[in-house]
Amino acid sequence: MTNESALRPSGANVTVAPAASQPLLRVENLSVRFDGAPPGINVVDDVSFTLAKGKTLCIVGESGCGKSVTALALMGLLPTPPARIVQGAAYVGDQNLFSLSERERADFRGNRTAMIFQEPMTSLNPAFTIGDQIAEGILRHKNVSKAQAWERALEMLRRVRIPAPEKRLRAYPHELSGGMRQRVMIAMALANEPQILIADEPTTALDVTIQAQILSLVRRLQEESGMSMILITHDLGVVAEVADEVAVMYAGRIVESGSVDAIFEDPQHPYTIGLMGSVPSLGRRQGRLATIRGSVPPAELMPKGCRFSPRCPFAESRCASEPPPLTEITPAHSARCWYAPLEQHRGAAA
Amino acid sequence: MSIKSEIILEGIDLVKHFGGGGVLSSPTVVRAVDGVSLQVKRGETFAIVGESGCGKSTLGRLLLRLIEATKGDVLYEGQSIRALGSREMRRLRRDLQIIFQDPFASLNPRMNVGDIIGEPIALHGLARGGARRERVSELLQTVGIAPTHADRYPHEFSGGQRQRIGIARALAGEPKLIIGDEPVSALDVSIQAQIINLLEDLKERFGLTLVIVAHDLAVIRHMSDRVAVMYLGEIVELSETDALFDNPLHPYTQALLTAIPVPSPINRKAKPLLQGDVPSPTAPPPGCRFHTRCPHAKALCREEHPKLESAPDGRKVACHFWREIQNAGAGALAAPAPSEALAKRLALYRTWRDRQDKTGASSQ
Repeated sequence: MTNESALRPSGANVTVAPAASQPLLRVENLSVRFDGAPPGINVVDDVSFTLAKGKTLCIVGESGCGKSVTALALMGLLPTPPARIVQGAAYVGDQNLFSLSERERADFRGNRTAMIFQEPMTSLNPAFTIGDQIAEGILRHKNVSKAQAWERALEMLRRVRIPAPEKRLRAYPHELSGGMRQRVMIAMALANEPQILIADEPTTALDVTIQAQILSLVRRLQEESGMSMILITHDLGVVAEVADEVAVMYAGRIVESGSVDAIFEDPQHPYTIGLMGSVPSLGRRQGRLATIRGSVPPAELMPKGCRFSPRCPFAESRCASEPPPLTEITPAHSARCWYAPLEQHRGAAA
Repeated sequence: MSIKSEIILEGIDLVKHFGGGGVLSSPTVVRAVDGVSLQVKRGETFAIVGESGCGKSTLGRLLLRLIEATKGDVLYEGQSIRALGSREMRRLRRDLQIIFQDPFASLNPRMNVGDIIGEPIALHGLARGGARRERVSELLQTVGIAPTHADRYPHEFSGGQRQRIGIARALAGEPKLIIGDEPVSALDVSIQAQIINLLEDLKERFGLTLVIVAHDLAVIRHMSDRVAVMYLGEIVELSETDALFDNPLHPYTQALLTAIPVPSPINRKAKPLLQGDVPSPTAPPPGCRFHTRCPHAKALCREEHPKLESAPDGRKVACHFWREIQNAGAGALAAPAPSEALAKRLALYRTWRDRQDKTGASSQ
């Protein structure tokens, strides 16, 4: 046994060492539009990112920034109408998810990609037992008997560390606590060993001690299975704890992306900086919070240029009319701002 | 002028049980608040923190007598408010106000904003007609909403603006004390910061006392002077804010602080985690209610209920073994200072942000 494999938990199913250079998922220029939105205003606008094997990408942003719509588009779960993918591709290997038939999509979903949601109570069916619901996903994708599927369901409950799993298999969702329900959701999502897990605010509805349990569980399961994860959240603390890569979204666009260290230690987009200034410090009080002025404008008032410009302290007239390009700060870190890097352009009091 | 005491509001051995009697109520008793005493000092921001179901919101409502206590008393300015009749209670409501969590549910959708804010002014007979309209405009301006919006309805506003309207309504009767029940937890981070700053400004401007009921420990550390930590209907620790965060005494506080995700990727490491779930408040464990999840629990903890006892620096803690484990909490919360680049960038942002406020027309 080599040193490296000795570090892995037993029962690990590691096939390939994570290679950062080889993205597992490549999203290119994804745009999603809602019917009836003003012309040119997409709810997700020209979003591109990659997800490496075994890594975690966090998409962070506030309500309405398009982070959940991006996730639903990738899963093929967009409600159409009103939402439509108007542009873009998402490659897993050389297969474009958006050009698959509905049937092929369904084979993909829950098998090679899986998703967990914020509110485990509404994502579980109250009329079926936990065992039924986990087994259903296994029976849909794997050629196994019902007994084998239940056996696998039991194994999954053990892996997500649910106490008394045999008993829970026959329990209904309402008999479990919020944290236990989210563990069940994770068990369902991982039952078919997906390559990609998309988690949409998985701990937002949970208390902080339960959130810590779930985040630690997800991290451990990810180490065991080598899967990649897209975690969608509004919580910068969660991002700092789990992310390898971060994409900051504002009003449908990625405004900044980079490694977790680059984003937290050297943020460049005024929105990212304003967001960090808005979060109260956990250390001793540092005076008043820095704030971001106003709120996100409604779609019909969205500027043609930089969508953050109406709120941005650094904005000039061209910001509202011309969309800024994604400027590379370092090879793996870029910001969509005319003034990036910020100090060079806005350092001296102009 | 009479000399006012330092204590503005005091809860004495408050108990609130739900259910357990009557034809229409459930036979199981939920012990939401179970013997809580606390004193709120004039002019301070006092925080009540805990996880869902710990009884913090119920306690907030008991302190305002929005619900009747099963046992215990509440003193406002040294006078019991539980004995007051409805007319006297209504007079008192001018002094004691509340801001709710959900700005979408707490405003009447059929009333325009002018009427929502004007209603308490009329009810308390503070102003009428033109004077009332003027007062409404003034209040809207105070919370950062254009007075011309007084004829609009709640659905025309964003979440942050609705919370501002709720605050304006709470201010209408010129209160002395405001309880905020999770006042910012339904809001996006950037809006949350605006409301926190607004509450702090108003507190200073009007000499208010604030009681903040919340689960977000970062918000509490930023806003409050003293904190009471609740677990299953009881206060387990009460302390000045910095002392509590620097050196938590109760094992539950220690676990709570350890669990907070810190917004910095430096020193990321696996943390010791609290296992299991909070037991149901219908059947709290015997002895210390935290013993089922406590990493330090001993036989005594299962048998004997710990009292809230005094610790140095005016702190209080309910744990049999707090002296033995008081160093266990050291470093529970490791919040590294911001990197040099981030600190520099935040300072740059603040400079331009201040300039934006001075030059921009709208300061929302």
